[in-house]
Amino acid sequence: MSQLQPIVEQEVAPLSVIAPRRRGRLRIPGWLSLLLSNPKSRFGLTLVGFMVFVALIAPWISVNNPTEFNLLAARQAPSWHHLFGTTDQGSDIFSQVALGTRRSLILGAAAALLATTLAATLGILAAYCGGVVDEIINFLTSVFLVIPTIPLLIVISGYLSNRGMLTMILVLGLTLWAFEARILRGQALSLRNRDFVQAAKTAGESTWRIVFGELMPNMISRIAAAFVLVFYIALLVDAGLEFLGLGDTSHVSWGMVLYWAQTNSTVLQGEWWPFLFPGLALVITVVGLVFLLAGIDEVSNPRLRQSR
Amino acid sequence: MTAAVQESQPSMELGRETLVELRGLRVAYGDVVAVDGVDLAIGAGEILGLAGESGCGKTTVANALMQILRPPAHVVDGAILFRGDDLTTKGLEELRRYRWRNVSMVFQSAMNALNPVMRVGDQFVDMMRAHERISKRAALDRAAELLDLVGIDRRRVRGYPHELSGGMRQRVIIAMALALQPELVIMDEPTTALDVVVQREILQQIRDLQSELGFAVLFITHDLSLLFEFAHRIAIMYAGELVEEAPAERLQHGARHPYTLGLISSFPSLTAPRERMTGIPGSPPDLAAPPAGCRFHPRCPHCSPADAPLYALQTSVRPVLRDVAPGHRVACHLVEQRG
Amino acid sequence: MTSSIVAPIEVRGLTKHFAAGTGVLRSRSRVHAVDDVTFALRPGTITALVGESGSGKSTVARLLARLYDPTAGTVLFEGTDVSRERRRSDVLRYRAQVQMIFQDPFGSLNPVKTIRHHLLRPLRIHKTVPSERIDARLRELLETVGLIPPDKYLEKYPHQLSGGQRQRVAIARALAAEPSVLVADEPTSMLDVSIRIGILNLMLELKERERLAFLYVTHDLASARYVADTVLVMYAGQIVEQGPAEAVLQDPLHPYTQLLLASVPDPAAGVRERIEVRKGLASAAVDPPEGCRFVGRCPLRIDVCSELTPELVAARPGHSARCHVTAPSPAIREDNHVESTHSAVPD
Repeated sequence: MSQLQPIVEQEVAPLSVIAPRRRGRLRIPGWLSLLLSNPKSRFGLTLVGFMVFVALIAPWISVNNPTEFNLLAARQAPSWHHLFGTTDQGSDIFSQVALGTRRSLILGAAAALLATTLAATLGILAAYCGGVVDEIINFLTSVFLVIPTIPLLIVISGYLSNRGMLTMILVLGLTLWAFEARILRGQALSLRNRDFVQAAKTAGESTWRIVFGELMPNMISRIAAAFVLVFYIALLVDAGLEFLGLGDTSHVSWGMVLYWAQTNSTVLQGEWWPFLFPGLALVITVVGLVFLLAGIDEVSNPRLRQSR
Repeated sequence: MTAAVQESQPSMELGRETLVELRGLRVAYGDVVAVDGVDLAIGAGEILGLAGESGCGKTTVANALMQILRPPAHVVDGAILFRGDDLTTKGLEELRRYRWRNVSMVFQSAMNALNPVMRVGDQFVDMMRAHERISKRAALDRAAELLDLVGIDRRRVRGYPHELSGGMRQRVIIAMALALQPELVIMDEPTTALDVVVQREILQQIRDLQSELGFAVLFITHDLSLLFEFAHRIAIMYAGELVEEAPAERLQHGARHPYTLGLISSFPSLTAPRERMTGIPGSPPDLAAPPAGCRFHPRCPHCSPADAPLYALQTSVRPVLRDVAPGHRVACHLVEQRG
Repeated sequence: MTSSIVAPIEVRGLTKHFAAGTGVLRSRSRVHAVDDVTFALRPGTITALVGESGSGKSTVARLLARLYDPTAGTVLFEGTDVSRERRRSDVLRYRAQVQMIFQDPFGSLNPVKTIRHHLLRPLRIHKTVPSERIDARLRELLETVGLIPPDKYLEKYPHQLSGGQRQRVAIARALAAEPSVLVADEPTSMLDVSIRIGILNLMLELKERERLAFLYVTHDLASARYVADTVLVMYAGQIVEQGPAEAVLQDPLHPYTQLLLASVPDPAAGVRERIEVRKGLASAAVDPPEGCRFVGRCPLRIDVCSELTPELVAARPGHSARCHVTAPSPAIREDNHVESTHSAVPD
């Protein structure tokens, strides 16, 4: 049937200009209120919020030296003294997981920030300028897209002797920006020909001002989504690298605990706790981010927002 | 002087049987009332123009008549009678048969309503076979006939919509609306997106078809000057209410409601002497919180606290449609007072 | 208005061709969106550019606003050719003088920025007032366009304003740069009918008070008559008639203008004649052949019309048309023994 209902385009306020609302006695920003009202993002925010909380108090709830060898306490199942049990070397797993949370969140956020900044800047620039600039950036994006992330990371990690957190952030950020750049370029293309961009041009705005001042602020929800996406991918990739023993050995991380668990064949000996708890931490964080992403998507689409 | 005037009933050109009647129709989108108590009648074979600006509720009235209101839009109150039958009491199956056979509709974005990957003829076939038992061959023949009727080469039946110009696509949509020989065709801004020359062609076409086939037309538009030329009767809506209704010629030269007069003064003429026009200051109200009393009073040049008793009425009591002449009714306190 | 005053903006032979098709399938065919357009805008006047969709009128507007670069022809700004200028300082100087108002009031404002931001940017970019005066200037601008009290509007976002209010903000933004020319591309077609007159009256006011030169692009002849001093009629990328508004709209020369006038709903005109339905597009042609582009729909056509592209000829003082029959050039007139002024009689 080709009879369509008349579609009335409603003008809906963009996310970033929704007025702050009172929730109980607190005044919170409009966007936060919106995210809290969507069940998916509310769930996601709760999980992620919880992990952030853990990361914040980690130094206070952990033992002084989490990698200390204490053979007397080795291989203990979870108890009141060691909430998550101990490793084969006697280290407290609870502390390791807590401190690992701190590290993971910082790493994930930093890598996501780097990747998103690159993706947004290059993507929007390519869309707005068109022509030669677009061609160059597209070429660059294609090159980075073709490179397989994990093998590259393995090679780089294996090659580098210094595998500190900064290196990991750089490597993750530089390999994960490309696909989001494509997506953001697409969205910027659809905005580019909107009259307000043309109007800014006739007013005399410079290219950079238009990219950062006119286009980017209208893409906040998509950029936020990109950020969350890269965040959890970075977490997974990092955990994977750590697990393979190619990660950063100076800090405690979830993947590291899993690595030691694997190397010491703990499961074969019936010790489930070195695997379960770091794995759970990773799962909770990633699931939280995934739900947050789904909620952002729903909330950003004005049509879905309206028909609630 | 206020005689005991009866609340006016929907009027119609004498001699026509009533095809459609809306009685006290009230439609809301969630909590916001978009159509607030409308009484309207359409006679067989007449062209009724429904004019108003954005937010006045005219499209909602059309959708209610066609029974295609989608949630959160719902009929809160009132009756929609087609030949005496109340549509609000009908079941889904009966409504499905009613749509397109008794009443059909041409939308504003009709040009986009054609499926780009189906041949024109097939879209007719689809639609016809959904409503009656007819073979594909017969349906295609009928489609070709209909294209002929609206002035398009029959061979276009085998073609695709993108091969047609905007005006031609609109004519295809009109042909589809006429396929099952409905008694009423609702046209919601059918020519707004078209150029002025094409618009005139289409309107000439519609008028020819209407006099040949005898269907009634509910013509919805914001362009009052179009209605003066093409409609038999015109009804004006503002903020969800009907404010004036009269035969076209009478409305053109003898309109009484300040909104209608303001609207007429918003159309500059090509031939009349050049003079400064005023339009209407302000903008249509937010339907979620319409003004108390007469909804037009914040913008009305005849509403001022200087005339205290009238002002009190205008700001607290909703005016009711009353006859000022045969077939001419107005909802305005000022008109009521002055007689 | 003496002719020795240099018109702020003048275009000569303005031409814009686009490639037909896109990307890999880009053919060598060219769409002639604008062909050989010549006119001047004088201070304190409104020039209406009238035509149907695809006639090229919006392209002319964008060429004037330097959103496109012309394929050929010149744009003279106070006597100097600016069409090839590339330096930012030159372009900026031009932009300070020539501003644009767009058709979609909501689309032309940035949804995530306040009204204050919209007006502030041009003030900052063109440095029209010292920083102490900026706040006062913002209020002045809003008052000029009728948004009173200005404080009520400064901190609002576009979605909080009505269509008419948004368009007034757009006009205020254009005025912030203190231009001498304002290009208005269908500024009222997306507004409610009762609001349109307000905007048109504002344009008339600005023309009087600030002595601005307006180019008013529209498909609505009645509104063109209401505001314009001069009318240019465009068809398929070319200007087919130009002259004083009353002359063009009451006594048109070109058959296309006559067709337009016969089509516009005008209740004051009484009983109308039916118009002839002839096939033909009013929009830019792809690789148009030599000859008049209206020939397929014209009731007056003669042989030469399909062979030779007519020139714009002044059949009456100040009023010219592009038609071999009603405004023939002297050579054609001799060849065809056609009278110089001819009112259209349909076949």
